[in-house]
Amino acid sequence: MSFLIRQTLIYAVPLMIVALAGVFAERSGIINLALEGIMIFGAFVGVLFVRLVQQWGWFDVAKQMDNWVALQGFVLMTMVVAAVLGAVFSLLLAFAAINLRADQTIGGTALNLMAPALVLFLIRLIANQNTLQMATGDAASWFMLKKTMFGFDKNAELGFFASTFLDKVYLTTYVCILVFVILSIILYKTRFGLRLRSCGENPQAADSLGINVVKMRYAGVTISGALAGMGGFVYALTTANCASTGDVAGFGFLALAVMIFGNWKPLNIAGAAMLFGLFKCIAAAYASLDINGDGVFLLANLGLNANFYRLLPYLVTLLVLAFTSKSSRAPKAEGIPYDKGQR
Amino acid sequence: MKKFLALLLALVMVLSLAACGGGGSAPAEGDKTTDASDPDSIEDSVTASDNTYEVAFITDVGQLKDKSFNQGTYDGVKLYAAANGKDYKYYQPANGDQATDDDRVKAMQDAVDGGAEIIVAAGFMQETAMMSVAAANPDVKFVFIDCDHPVADANGAVLDNVAAISFQEEQSGYLAGYAVVKEGYTQLGFAGGGGGTNPACCRYGYGYVQGAAAAAEEMGVDVSINYTWQYGDTFSASPELQTMISGWYENGIEIVFSCGGSIFQSITAAAAENEGDVIGVDVDQSFESDTVVTSALKGLTEATTWAIGKFYNDEWADIGGVNTVRGINDDSVGLPTATWSLENFSVDEYNTLVSSLKDGTLKVDNSVLAGGDIVQAATDHVTINYVG
Repeated sequence: MSFLIRQTLIYAVPLMIVALAGVFAERSGIINLALEGIMIFGAFVGVLFVRLVQQWGWFDVAKQMDNWVALQGFVLMTMVVAAVLGAVFSLLLAFAAINLRADQTIGGTALNLMAPALVLFLIRLIANQNTLQMATGDAASWFMLKKTMFGFDKNAELGFFASTFLDKVYLTTYVCILVFVILSIILYKTRFGLRLRSCGENPQAADSLGINVVKMRYAGVTISGALAGMGGFVYALTTANCASTGDVAGFGFLALAVMIFGNWKPLNIAGAAMLFGLFKCIAAAYASLDINGDGVFLLANLGLNANFYRLLPYLVTLLVLAFTSKSSRAPKAEGIPYDKGQR
Repeated sequence: MKKFLALLLALVMVLSLAACGGGGSAPAEGDKTTDASDPDSIEDSVTASDNTYEVAFITDVGQLKDKSFNQGTYDGVKLYAAANGKDYKYYQPANGDQATDDDRVKAMQDAVDGGAEIIVAAGFMQETAMMSVAAANPDVKFVFIDCDHPVADANGAVLDNVAAISFQEEQSGYLAGYAVVKEGYTQLGFAGGGGGTNPACCRYGYGYVQGAAAAAEEMGVDVSINYTWQYGDTFSASPELQTMISGWYENGIEIVFSCGGSIFQSITAAAAENEGDVIGVDVDQSFESDTVVTSALKGLTEATTWAIGKFYNDEWADIGGVNTVRGINDDSVGLPTATWSLENFSVDEYNTLVSSLKDGTLKVDNSVLAGGDIVQAATDHVTINYVG
C-alpha cells in the first residue's frame, strides 16, 4: 500500500503542477498548449544544471559526508533554476500571443515543436549522445529521502505514515504540493488572483476598471512557464533517473487533459491527477501490488492480460469525462487576443 | 511600453544564448588526452581530410552511447581505427527506435558512399538491409555483430563479404546466475530487452536461469526468479519499467539482471531507490552505477577489433561468408573479476567454473527460449514467475 501511494504521487505530482500551470495561463486568457515544450525545456535545464554543478564539485563534500540537508538544498536550487528558465522560455509565447496578437494555438504548437529539437540539439553538443545524464551517481543516491536520514535504523519497521511519506520519497513531491496549495489560494483568495481570473473572463470589463490586462496576462503566462519548467525537472528527477532526452512521455499533453478534466479548478485537478497517476501506477506494477499486505498479489492472480491494465488509465479518464464533461466550463475569453476597441 | 518590450526580448535572446553557450563549452574537456587504450578518450567522430571514411559503424536501435551494446561495438571500431590511422564514422539509421529496413539500407548506403571499405553493423535486426546492400556492393566488407548464421542474398547464395559474428551469451549469463546464487542471493530478477524476440537476450536469460539452477542445486537452496520482457521492446528507459522494477525490489527481489541497452537506466534507478542490486550486461557497467554488483560480459570490443584486423591483414577469408561464434574459449564472455563486488563467491571458484566450461565438462544449453517459454526451465529448486 505504501508503495502504491508513493508511486502514485510520483506520477501525479508532475501532472498536477503542470496542469496548474495550464490553469494560470488559461485563467488569464491565454491558451498554453506549449506545456509539453516548456516541460521538456525545464527538464533539460534542470538536468544540465545538476550535471554542471556536479562537474564543478560544489556538493562533492556534502555528498561524501552524507549531508542530506545540503543535497536537498541542491534540489531546491535546481527547481528554482528550471522554473526561472521555464518562465523565460514561456515569454516567447507571451510575446507572440499578447503583443503580436498571434493565434495562441499556433504559438504554443510552435514552442512544442521547437523545444524537443532545440534540447536534442544541445544534448548532442554537450554529451555527444541522445541522453543527458547526471555526471556521477544515480538520482536516488543523491537526492532521495530515506528513512536513515531521519534517524531510523536501516532495518527498522516504520508505521504506515512514516513508511509512506518519509522513506524513499523525493523532496520535490512535497515542494510541488506546497506550491500547488499556495498558488491555488493566491488564485482564489487574493486581489491579484481575482484580477487575473477576470482577464480570462471579460478583459474589456477588467480594463474599464483600471486593470492592466497585458500585465495580468504576462503574469499568468510567466507563472505558467515557471510551473511547467519546474514540473519538467521534477518529472525527469523522479521518473527518469534525472536524465533528459528531449521527451517527457507526453506528460505536458496529459496535464492539459487533466486541466480540462479538472474543470480549470485546482481541487478537481489534484483529484484528476491522483486518479490518473493511480491507474498509471497500477498498470506498470500490477503484478507486484500487495494492497492489503497479506502476501497475495490479487491483481496478478486475476490472470487478466497485461494490456488491459495498461489501457485502464485512459479508459477511466474517458469514462469520468463522459459523465462530467457536461458541467465543464472553460474561461470565457481564453484564446481571444485582447483588443481594447472590442466590446 | 515599447522600450520595456524591446528590453524583455533582448533579455530572452541573451539568456537563451547564454544557455547555448554554457552547453557548447562542456564537451571540450575530454579531448585533450588521447590514450589509445581507452576508447572513451577517442573522439566519436573524426573529420577526414579527403572526406572518405574507411571504417563505418551502423548502430542498432537505441542510442550510440548506450553504455552497452552499441557503445561496446563502436569502441572496437574506434580502437582499431585510432591505432591504425584509419578514418571512421558512425551512422545512425533514421527514426531511432522505429527504424525500418529502408532507414538501415539508407544508412549503409551512406556509409558505402562515404568511402567505407569495411562496415560494422550491430544487431540482428539489420539482416534484411544488409542482404541487399552487401549483395549490391561486393567489394565492401561487412562485419555483422550478433548474427548467428551466415548471411545469404535474396537468391539464397551466401554472401562472402559478410562476416557474421555471434556470441555464446548463455555462458556469460550462466556465470552471472551461478555467481549471484553462490553469493547468497535467492530472490532474483531478469528484465530483458527486445520483447522476448532478440536471440542474444533470450540466450543471456536462459543461461542465467541455468546458472542459478545449478548453484541452487549444489547449495540446496530454493531460488525464485521474476522474469520479464515488458517495457523493454525498444531497449529504452521508461518510467513504467522503473515503477515495475521498484515493485519487484519492494517485494523482496534482491538483484535484477538488466539485459538490454538503455533499460539499464530505469533498472538502476529503481535499484538505487530500494537499495537493491543489479547485474549489468555486455560491457562492464560497474562504473555507471554503484548498484551494479557484476556484469555479464560479451567481448564486443575485442571481437570488433579482431574482425576489422582480419580484413586489413588479408585474412578475410577466415571469417567472410561464415558464422563465427565467440565464447568462453576466445575469452569473449565472462564476468569482470577485477571490478565485481561479490564477497562470498571467490575468483578461484569462478576460474574453476570457467575452466570446466572451457574443457567441455560443463555445457550450457544455448537454445533460444523466446517470450514466456522460459517457464520450462524451472527445476525443483527454481521457481520462475514469468511476468508477461
